[in-house]
Amino acid sequence: MRIGIDVGGTHTDAALLSGNQVVETCKVLTTSDVMSGILDVLTQLQSQCSETVVADAIMIGTTQFTNAVIERRSLKPVAAIRLGAPSGKGLPPFVGWPEDIANTVCAAVYELEGGYLYDGQELSPLNEVELKKVIEDLKRRNVEAVAITSAFSPMNSSPEQWVKERVQQALPHCRITLSHEIGRVGLLERENAAILNASLLHFADDVITALEMALKNSQHNCPVFISQNDGTLMDVSFARRFPALTFASGPTNSLRGAAKLTGLDEAIVIDIGGTTTDFGVLRGGFPRESNLVVEVGGVRTNFRMPDILAIGLGGGSLVAPDGSLVGPQSVGHQLVNEGLVFGGSTLTASDIAVAAGQVSMGDASNVSGLDNEIVSKALEQIQTMLNAGVRKMNPGKNPLPVVLVGGGAAIVPDSLSAGFEVLRPEYCDVANAIGAAIAQIGGEAERFVSYQTTERETAIEQVRSEAINKAVAAGADMKTIRVNDIEEVAIPYMDNGSTRVRVKVIGDVAALQSPDTKEAAR
Amino acid sequence: MKLQEQQVKDLATGAAFLATGGGGDPYLSLLCAQQSIKQYQPADLISINDLPDDAVIVAVGSVGAPTTSLELLPSIDDPVIAIKAFEQHMGVKVDAVVSFEIGGANSLIPIVAAAASGIPVIDGDGMGRALPEVQMMTYSIAGISPTPSVAVDYAGNCVVFDDVTVMEYEEQIRDFAMQRGGMVTTVEFCMTAAELRGCIVPNTVSLAIEIGEVLRVERGNAVELIERLRVVFEPTAYGDIVTLFTGTVTDVATSVIGGYDIGYATLRSDKKDEEDIKVDIKNEYLTVWAGDSLRVCVPDLITFLDSETGQPINSERLGFGQRVTIVGIGCPSHFRTSKALDVVGPRCFGFDFDFTPIEALTPQ
Repeated sequence: MRIGIDVGGTHTDAALLSGNQVVETCKVLTTSDVMSGILDVLTQLQSQCSETVVADAIMIGTTQFTNAVIERRSLKPVAAIRLGAPSGKGLPPFVGWPEDIANTVCAAVYELEGGYLYDGQELSPLNEVELKKVIEDLKRRNVEAVAITSAFSPMNSSPEQWVKERVQQALPHCRITLSHEIGRVGLLERENAAILNASLLHFADDVITALEMALKNSQHNCPVFISQNDGTLMDVSFARRFPALTFASGPTNSLRGAAKLTGLDEAIVIDIGGTTTDFGVLRGGFPRESNLVVEVGGVRTNFRMPDILAIGLGGGSLVAPDGSLVGPQSVGHQLVNEGLVFGGSTLTASDIAVAAGQVSMGDASNVSGLDNEIVSKALEQIQTMLNAGVRKMNPGKNPLPVVLVGGGAAIVPDSLSAGFEVLRPEYCDVANAIGAAIAQIGGEAERFVSYQTTERETAIEQVRSEAINKAVAAGADMKTIRVNDIEEVAIPYMDNGSTRVRVKVIGDVAALQSPDTKEAAR
Repeated sequence: MKLQEQQVKDLATGAAFLATGGGGDPYLSLLCAQQSIKQYQPADLISINDLPDDAVIVAVGSVGAPTTSLELLPSIDDPVIAIKAFEQHMGVKVDAVVSFEIGGANSLIPIVAAAASGIPVIDGDGMGRALPEVQMMTYSIAGISPTPSVAVDYAGNCVVFDDVTVMEYEEQIRDFAMQRGGMVTTVEFCMTAAELRGCIVPNTVSLAIEIGEVLRVERGNAVELIERLRVVFEPTAYGDIVTLFTGTVTDVATSVIGGYDIGYATLRSDKKDEEDIKVDIKNEYLTVWAGDSLRVCVPDLITFLDSETGQPINSERLGFGQRVTIVGIGCPSHFRTSKALDVVGPRCFGFDFDFTPIEALTPQ
């Protein structure tokens, strides 16, 4: 048995799975301390089951760390140490950050010599004397979190390790993030990711400790995993070190859940909430990633995030009196008070769905007087909005199947534009909790290589084994690991054969003693 | 005009728009320009007509593989170091700096130099867009030599290049960049104001700033955006601006050959009965085909905008499934002469047809 939990802005959802089968699902309101919402949903889940539920693993998707960055709270000041001088003069750490978050997070910046060039030569030698001065300064400032970044560390991380050893020795209680462990090529974006991560380390400790305590005292004394951006899981000890890797787990989980519920690897997924609708695309069962630079709380990072198109349409969307306009304004989670079917006085998309007989919700007699013409006009408008999104996201010539998930899915009419098959799977309202429950563990590695000096197969194999090591360290079962993606990008204006190689592998949760894992391992 | 931080930000967006898919991501150059203005002073943007005929002007910019500067960051002092070394070597005083190409990252390097040194930067450039090779610059077409030149690496080491042909220089400077971490800053094309006046694509810096401002103000409003841009392009050396296509990228197939990112992209229209679009790429977007019929070709400008945000998309970032709007613009009149088309026309990019202007291929 495993339980997937999704902590959203309004609801905390849970799904209980036995092997690959969904057994039970439920929803409660999210609490401000998050933890009691998680305990509430577990209690609720148990009350819906006749037998005592004992989970082998719990998977949690949470937006707490994203929200901490967006709201600039629970962030620790970070000292950023960069190894790359004399390059980058005038572009110190925190360059380009919004002032408010830079003021909150920046404790000190140091630009030291060190790092490598693209061809593996030293950029400049490490300087022990310089570092000693930095460490004295860190002590004097009482710094509690440090982010260390060196030029081309995804290819050669030894300068970052060298600094870490010395800082850790002098300041044993200081929490440290090394950039090569969290980001990709692109020094500033990787440095930003490392700084954000370092600033969340203490908060992550608090969250994870509270979570472990709460679960220990419940009937579920089992391993706990946290969802990552790319749809894979990390165990809690990993989550304590890399909280920033949870930033986009919400949309990812709903896409993965849709794949699981339908068995489809290629599909368009529409996740309809109270206020917005997110369109995403499944490729090979995983979210298609965005090519654009991703900002988190105004800070530029190079995390890979799903390619999402968001529009202002949801179950709580306001409908114009004549039905000609739906959204983008919404009553949001006030739907249960303000919608007509709930005795309120606001005409919403949900009221239209009830009036059209698509769903039963609240008191249908409240909308029986609605003019048919208004209802059909509003439905038409909803359909037009969804069709435009589906058409934009559909990647090829042939229409992909469309999967509806999320609490607002009921507002969608049964058919969209010609050719698009619409699926509304069972449990679609908790798809993201299911996405969290079924997730696996991944590992990723990246290098610059020259196919002229290293044979292609050898180079890819090197990067692959590095990725596998990372996956195993994160809690994957070695026997089930397979390559998920190989990306080779040739580098313009360089010799033929200079290539950036990135390999992503994925495997089952080693700690999960459920039948499907055992089967896969056999 | 004094360029402040907001203007260089708009300039970077406008430069990405004019880069026609190439020119490198201007983000790092933008940071350098912003930091340089913060640390030193606003950059002084002047017209070429503000200078006496004998004023000394140099072009300043970066050469190499932009991907490497993602890790080996540029320094805001590099352009000034290069200019000082050039002045010392030549025994001249530089009166103003100018950009190689307005398209992409190199539009901002002269701004970095101007802010840090107080030397004014001239409103205009040698391409009016982005193009891959040095002989394609209007400076080269007018017969001005890129050498003597000075290049500076990340550690501040300077090297002089002289007594070489344009093609030899191109090869030597690229080798030097590769040996020194992948990117170097250079000072080239030493010329008088009279010489530059004869070949500059004028006012492209202020044009890029205006484009950037429109893209910022009209963010996410593709229809309004093109109408506003039409007004912006009206008084310039460029031709008309036309919306060619709105749709989704269905395939991008590029590979790096001889240092260039070569290939094509295919796209499907949002309109059901419109033909599929194919776009040829060699770092920059070179052609747009609707089925078998050519709609635009180089040196006319082809720009991809993200349909949701209206922001320009670099060809390196173009990917499967992206929602884009393709815009075509008649190139500056400088490139419409037969002498210019001999070095920037479709045949120079390996196509077996001659240039036809966008206004003939895609009438409004």
